[in-house]
Amino acid sequence: MTMPWTRPVAVAGVGYSKVTREGDHDIRTLTLEACRSAIADAGLAPTDVDAIMEYSFGGDSPSAARAQRLLGIRDLAAFNDLMGTGPSGLSAAMDAAMAVASGVCETALVYRCITRAAGHTGSVRTAPIHAAGDLQFTAPYGLGGGIIHTMAMRKQRRVAVLGGSNEDYGLVAVNARRWAAGNERAVLREPITMDDYRGSRLVADPLVVLDCDYPVNGACAAIITTVERAADLAQPLVVIDALAYGTGANADWVYGEDFLFGGTRGCAQRLWSAASVTPADVDVAELYDGFTHITISWIEALGFCGIGEFGDWADGGRRIGPGGGLPLNTHGGQLAEGRLHGLGFLTEATLQLRGQCDGRQVPGAAVAVVANAHGPQCGAIVLIRP
Amino acid sequence: MSQFYWEGARHGALLLQRCRACGWYLHPPDPTCPRCLSDGFDHVAASGRGTIFAFTIARQAFHQSFADHVPYVLALVELEEQAGLRVLSNIIESDHAALADGAPVELTFEARGQWKLPQFRLRRGPTP
Repeated sequence: MTMPWTRPVAVAGVGYSKVTREGDHDIRTLTLEACRSAIADAGLAPTDVDAIMEYSFGGDSPSAARAQRLLGIRDLAAFNDLMGTGPSGLSAAMDAAMAVASGVCETALVYRCITRAAGHTGSVRTAPIHAAGDLQFTAPYGLGGGIIHTMAMRKQRRVAVLGGSNEDYGLVAVNARRWAAGNERAVLREPITMDDYRGSRLVADPLVVLDCDYPVNGACAAIITTVERAADLAQPLVVIDALAYGTGANADWVYGEDFLFGGTRGCAQRLWSAASVTPADVDVAELYDGFTHITISWIEALGFCGIGEFGDWADGGRRIGPGGGLPLNTHGGQLAEGRLHGLGFLTEATLQLRGQCDGRQVPGAAVAVVANAHGPQCGAIVLIRP
Repeated sequence: MSQFYWEGARHGALLLQRCRACGWYLHPPDPTCPRCLSDGFDHVAASGRGTIFAFTIARQAFHQSFADHVPYVLALVELEEQAGLRVLSNIIESDHAALADGAPVELTFEARGQWKLPQFRLRRGPTP
């Protein structure tokens, strides 16, 4: 056997398309822009790429084969079109990391492209719903909008059984805008106050609009390759120290056994078992915020504080804001940068460890944790700057 | 897959799948029992008594057919038959201010054309 099966892996490049709130955009153009940017960022040419992994909800992001053709790559050693049931955009990078580590490929391009037309689940549907599978037991009751209603129920139950308050969730929303002020790519850079959060429109009690991420048009990409190869490329080395998945028991968004945390706790346990560092070593945390409940779950599941202790721990937001002990979602997250759907947490963490975040740079950042999604589809990565 | 559930509802029952070998209730149904991994099931009428596990008041419709229903209550109801046995349903005929985790509820039905929807309402009077 000459296949190595296990090699250290790095994030060697990151790239974005323009991120916008308006217009009708071609997903091929957005994807191409982000992919070219990531490839150039790494100091590579498109023909250096021998693998492509992408995450989508079906046709809302171009397939790996489409991206291959757009970039003029003649053949791929590995590829994967990952389904919506995975850990959001991060799943593409996780898949690529395993493929590179195995030796099946050398240099993988990963991306997630999304448009408001595809990502705006808050709109009112008019076409009849063909309720397949388990939806037959929920759609007739008016459970809709993707996971919005189950997230509202999680927020309700969390406060009821773990304590804390509505304002704990507001800390995450306010924090996103504070950081976004330093991110030119972010679409929502105006600061908000806790009063703004309290006055935010109810979608499904107690969930308010400011608990939800903001739909945008855009694409985000990264290059995953071996540490050996990355060390010779254009950017400072950022190593993938560990990665882990989690689903939880009876894995399901509605019926999952651990309703409040889903697979986050098992994922976090595996992540820290595999990592060379501990939560105390983390300099920056980029944790999914499709809904504020998800971010709080990850903070607690990853052990930055005890279960149910987020509100006190966050210290009025000081701990997670600029200059705080655990800078959180330093690009503004999906609440403020916009919903690039997962991969944006990895690219921001990479830029932080490279020291390239200008005004929002966390001084000396050397260890980052990145986590995506919730419920039955959790994934997380630890990145380190050696 | 859900035909038994809706046929049962039409006749005033909340039917659930129960493992013939070990007695485990499974909702939504699946072709095998996650507890003992055997494949034989019966459809059994639940008592209809349970408690609210989590709830939300939907203020915004995500499908036009619910536009005239807002605000309406969605809840996960934990049934007394088995710890952790939850069904997703509506809480109707109840004061929203009285909704709370652990509040006892009982089965009720609303008509939807020729069908009926198994739902719940807060249980009145003293609880056992």
